[in-house]
Amino acid sequence: MSAWEALRERFDLPEEPSAEEPPVIDVSRHVEMAAALKEFGFTMYVTVCATHFPEEAPKAKKGEDPPPPIPEHWEVATVLRRPGARSETFAWRVSVERPVVPTLFPLFAGADWQEREQYDLVGVIFEGHPDLRRLMMPEDWDGHPLRKDYAIDTRVHPWR
Amino acid sequence: MAVDEGSRNYEHPAYDYMERMPGLSLAMTTVDKVLEWSATNSLWIFPMATSCCAIEFISSAAARVDIDQIGSVVRPTPRHCDVMIVAGTITVKMAPRVKKLWEQMPEPKWCIAMGSCAISGDFYRDIYSVVPGIDTVVPVDVYIPGCPPNADQVLHGLERLQAMIRSDRAGGGMPREERPETAKMINPENRRVGDPERDPSLTDAQHDASRNLGVGANSDRTRDARPIGDIAEDEAADVRGSVDDLEEGA
Ligand code: SF4
Repeated sequence: MSAWEALRERFDLPEEPSAEEPPVIDVSRHVEMAAALKEFGFTMYVTVCATHFPEEAPKAKKGEDPPPPIPEHWEVATVLRRPGARSETFAWRVSVERPVVPTLFPLFAGADWQEREQYDLVGVIFEGHPDLRRLMMPEDWDGHPLRKDYAIDTRVHPWR
Repeated sequence: MAVDEGSRNYEHPAYDYMERMPGLSLAMTTVDKVLEWSATNSLWIFPMATSCCAIEFISSAAARVDIDQIGSVVRPTPRHCDVMIVAGTITVKMAPRVKKLWEQMPEPKWCIAMGSCAISGDFYRDIYSVVPGIDTVVPVDVYIPGCPPNADQVLHGLERLQAMIRSDRAGGGMPREERPETAKMINPENRRVGDPERDPSLTDAQHDASRNLGVGANSDRTRDARPIGDIAEDEAADVRGSVDDLEEGA
């Protein structure tokens, strides 16, 4: 039985897995999901990828009222892999309106730097992470450069 | 040039000593030639190699071009070397380290910017994390344009440096090369923070981004907490509050 079938009922996943659109689950079940997968043999923490979506007003269709604006939100996609002969990859997303997501560090030690990187670049706080410092940008950097509203620049002197 | 180290006239440390040797005054021209020969043909290279140009630089040390033929050997420590070749993109985090390594090199020393990234930042020059040209950090004597430059261009760059050293020893001074104006790609299109001509709304937008929901530079999670600056006091209190909430909850 594949992981998808085993977890479909419990986490309310869609019928078929899709490579383009990993399922979105509620942030309160994020750690539960990771723990369940780990028991299922997904012991390798491949990556975490956070994305910032600024507030957006979708275009109205002809003759219809404009749809409500999509508020600013963050999406955090986590990818786990089951190593071995028939290896499988499992990805899911959580979508949050404040950039705060529970850490997976207690389950996967490999989450340490990956979560620090996402914190550094996108500014998502991984709640409970023991050492959430910047990883890539200089320590005194202002802001999180991969947020969509970040102004592109560097300090003037001595690097202009 | 953002950095100016004044005049760096070249003098060999053994020069005075040899001049004072009895009976040697007649042989001075020859001694001069020997010193010049040894100075120009022992340019040891410290490779400040960070990205793809570094690979091309390796091939310039390999058999086909072989920069060893002019006495340039590559040493992995700045303390043994005369020439720093900056081969690759330098990021804002790396730039202070480059400067530190440059300062560890003993005089006389020269710097070569290899590739468009080291010259002007190339197509990365508008990115928030890239230094637009290494000559804003250390003084550059020779520019080798290209992306990456050919291995023989590296050899040619070293030969230009040798010619400069020779002209310096002949009393002609040591004129640095001009930064090449390739396709006018010299400065970033975006004005950087601190530039008086920069649009202040960009700075505001950046401040907004960094105080967004109280995370980032203004929280005490970063090692060097920075002053909250021009954020209004009540907003600053919000910022601190939300970080405190998080830490209590954790
Ligand atoms: S100049 Fe081109 S080859 Fe050299 S480091 Fe930059 S991108 Fe790479």
